[in-house]
Amino acid sequence: MSEEDRHFSAELAVIGTGLAGFAASIFALKRNIKTAQVGNTGAVAYTTGYLDLLGSLAPDYLASIEDPWQGIEQLRDSHPRHPLCRIPKDDIFTAFEQFTSFLGKCGIAYTPPGEFNVSGLTPAGTLKPTLCVPATMQVGSAAFSQKEPCVIIDFKGLKGFSSRQVVANLKDRWPKLSSKRVEFPDMVSGEIYPEVMARSLEVPATREKLAKILASAAGDVKVIGLPAILGMHAPDLVREELEQLTGLQIFEIPTMPPSVPGIRLREMFEQLFPQKGVTLIPQQKVDRLVFIENGAQLSLNDSFGPISIHAKSVILATGRFLSGGLKAGVDGVSEPLLKLPVTQPDSRREWYREKYTDRRGHAVNSAGIEVDSSFRPLDNHGRPYSKNLFAAGVILAHQDWIRGRCGAGVAIATAYKAVEEVEKLLK
Amino acid sequence: MTEKTIPTLNFKEKAEELLPEGASFEACLTCGLCSSGCPASGIENMDPRKFIRMAMLGMDKELSTSKWIWACTQCKRCQHVCPMSIDISQLVFLARSNWPREKKPAGIVRSCQLIQSTDSTSAMGLPPEDFVFVVQDVLEEVREQQPKFKNMQAPMDKKGAHFFVNQNSREPMSEPDEMVPLWKIFDIVGANWTYSSKAWAAENFCMFSGNEEAWREVIKKRVDAVNELGCEVWLNTECGHSYYTMWNGINRFGMKADFKLESLVTYYARWIREGKLPVNSDWNRKNITFTVQDPCMIVRKAYGESIAEDMRFVTKSLVGEENFIDMQPNRSANYCCGGGGGFLQAGMTEHRRTYGKRKFDQIAATGASYVLTPCHNCHSQIEDIGHHYRGSYGVVHFWTLICLSLGILGENERTYLGPDLLECI
Repeated sequence: MSEEDRHFSAELAVIGTGLAGFAASIFALKRNIKTAQVGNTGAVAYTTGYLDLLGSLAPDYLASIEDPWQGIEQLRDSHPRHPLCRIPKDDIFTAFEQFTSFLGKCGIAYTPPGEFNVSGLTPAGTLKPTLCVPATMQVGSAAFSQKEPCVIIDFKGLKGFSSRQVVANLKDRWPKLSSKRVEFPDMVSGEIYPEVMARSLEVPATREKLAKILASAAGDVKVIGLPAILGMHAPDLVREELEQLTGLQIFEIPTMPPSVPGIRLREMFEQLFPQKGVTLIPQQKVDRLVFIENGAQLSLNDSFGPISIHAKSVILATGRFLSGGLKAGVDGVSEPLLKLPVTQPDSRREWYREKYTDRRGHAVNSAGIEVDSSFRPLDNHGRPYSKNLFAAGVILAHQDWIRGRCGAGVAIATAYKAVEEVEKLLK
Repeated sequence: MTEKTIPTLNFKEKAEELLPEGASFEACLTCGLCSSGCPASGIENMDPRKFIRMAMLGMDKELSTSKWIWACTQCKRCQHVCPMSIDISQLVFLARSNWPREKKPAGIVRSCQLIQSTDSTSAMGLPPEDFVFVVQDVLEEVREQQPKFKNMQAPMDKKGAHFFVNQNSREPMSEPDEMVPLWKIFDIVGANWTYSSKAWAAENFCMFSGNEEAWREVIKKRVDAVNELGCEVWLNTECGHSYYTMWNGINRFGMKADFKLESLVTYYARWIREGKLPVNSDWNRKNITFTVQDPCMIVRKAYGESIAEDMRFVTKSLVGEENFIDMQPNRSANYCCGGGGGFLQAGMTEHRRTYGKRKFDQIAATGASYVLTPCHNCHSQIEDIGHHYRGSYGVVHFWTLICLSLGILGENERTYLGPDLLECI
């Protein structure tokens, strides 16, 4: 059967389709850099939608911090090699501004970055310090800080979100919080998924039916919290309409993954990037990356056969273990695509502390690759692997993003910096 | 006679044989993105995550007998959204193959038997001579009644033609006038094309019935027929699974095919871009709105974004950009309508409509008056769920709208037009 090879060329190839990869493409679009992006977009759907910068500090990650900017200053003393310490505050701020305003223009409004963290509510009834929140969740953070009377509503058949659990864990700090369970309109019995409910709420008739149910469940209370189900592609519109129909203030709380706010981001990126001129190959991983004179050659395969991309520069944003940016083996942690050296504990025995839940975290979770001041990955001799290669996101060493509540911060800020360096190179 | 029982399959062992080196169903994180995004979740108390967990736990007996495998359309959306790219549809195909023929849904089995029964490879059993007759008969009628097309051709078995054109049996069998718009399009662009009296049919339910040998035989007949006529392109008309079964089959069975497999949608787009099909949207003065259904078989499972983009280009050219509303989600992330995988033939109407509810909601959310889709199974299912859930939309073929836009749609070719579209002629 005759087939044609597919070849693309770009000024920048972004490898990875997590937050860092997508942020890199957004910043590249802003700078008119012709970009191709490759990776499996699946894991973006795991995000809660919250964009944290820095929420907790080593060594014990005990208290949530209110001022992430002050937190970064502290990090500069205690952990100067943390990726966030290598980027000026103004750049981090601009990166968050550009990222959130891009999302807003594409249909998912976010609060802009501010001076302080806000408290994002979680499905466990805990609070997550975060810099920016989707507009659909903003009312929840405000209602919590004002301690307004509020009902958290969940749905029969929905797993991964229990209003009783949310209330039980928040009650001591939010006395006028109560819970209620209702039935979602027109759902057949059995397990129902937030994704299905969200899509169903894109239909006006479903919104009208749900509005009646919500108004009745709220009683005299004027603020209600729902699991994140308020539409998939026009969440702000769905929320606004439900507010109008019910006369209530409504906010969302992320559910356990797979959570709708993550799927929203994924589908938005997948749809809009190609329209904006990014060559996006969303379901494949790069098999081979070779640097040649003035650029790199990426090779991959999809069900139709080989694809090759020639790019003048490359940003490696392949993440950590889940997405395959790092690989854990018997002999240690490796970086599979280029075999870049990985900073890691001396032996496997030191990967973990004795207790898995140890608040200080585990050494393996700060493993990663080293970069120079231009975010160029370093080779075994401590020199840049290639002048055309940059890295961004949690593949970078010296940060434990889960404990530090800084996953989005590391992704967005380092992507900004890497793209800035790409632009310098291209000029 | 004792009733045949379904043998128990060792799913884990089979999965390990199927997967490329280094891949593993054990990579499943149990996150549930697959189930959350699957319209078959909940049917027969099963979903993709449960299926894979049960396979990994060795619950082979339960899985071997689960009827859910006939409600899964093997649309591969689960794999598409899976961060670990786990392909569950392979296991479903295995499970289907494992059922004794007597136990399989009779409608799918019968369709496959009919495909095997003649050289036409038609799931409706239309023999070659009848196909040749119908084509000739309809052609003569058009030549007589539509002076503009008095010299139109519908070549049969023309050696060395550029395009070998297939045809879904539904047209010659039940609605022969629906072939005419396509012929007119070929006539206008001056395409060098031919039908074949052998292996002309598009559909292939043998794959869906889990009968691999029959699937191979059908593809062999089709490949031989194209090779025999020496055509450069096997052009798949507005039918989704025919493309996938052919493309996947040629690779799977290692067949020698001296031609390219292409979709008609790609050519619609190309001919419009080249000015050979001078369509426009001037006719749509009332701003009638349209959405498109991306058939899984040619978008997610095959060409991906390029054909999805072509489909939108063609649609916008035909109806006007402002009158096109995309379904959400769309392209490779689109939901299967529930007409695929042999579901329409499987006799499981209630399940099929439950499955289709999500498609109905997607369409309702667009508020569009019409759905355009280049796939017969999508077409039938979307019509059916529209009636069942009391929707107010219509479903049209691309060829109909192209000819409408060109002002050449004959009177007998307007079956799928509602009063609003009829007024635009």
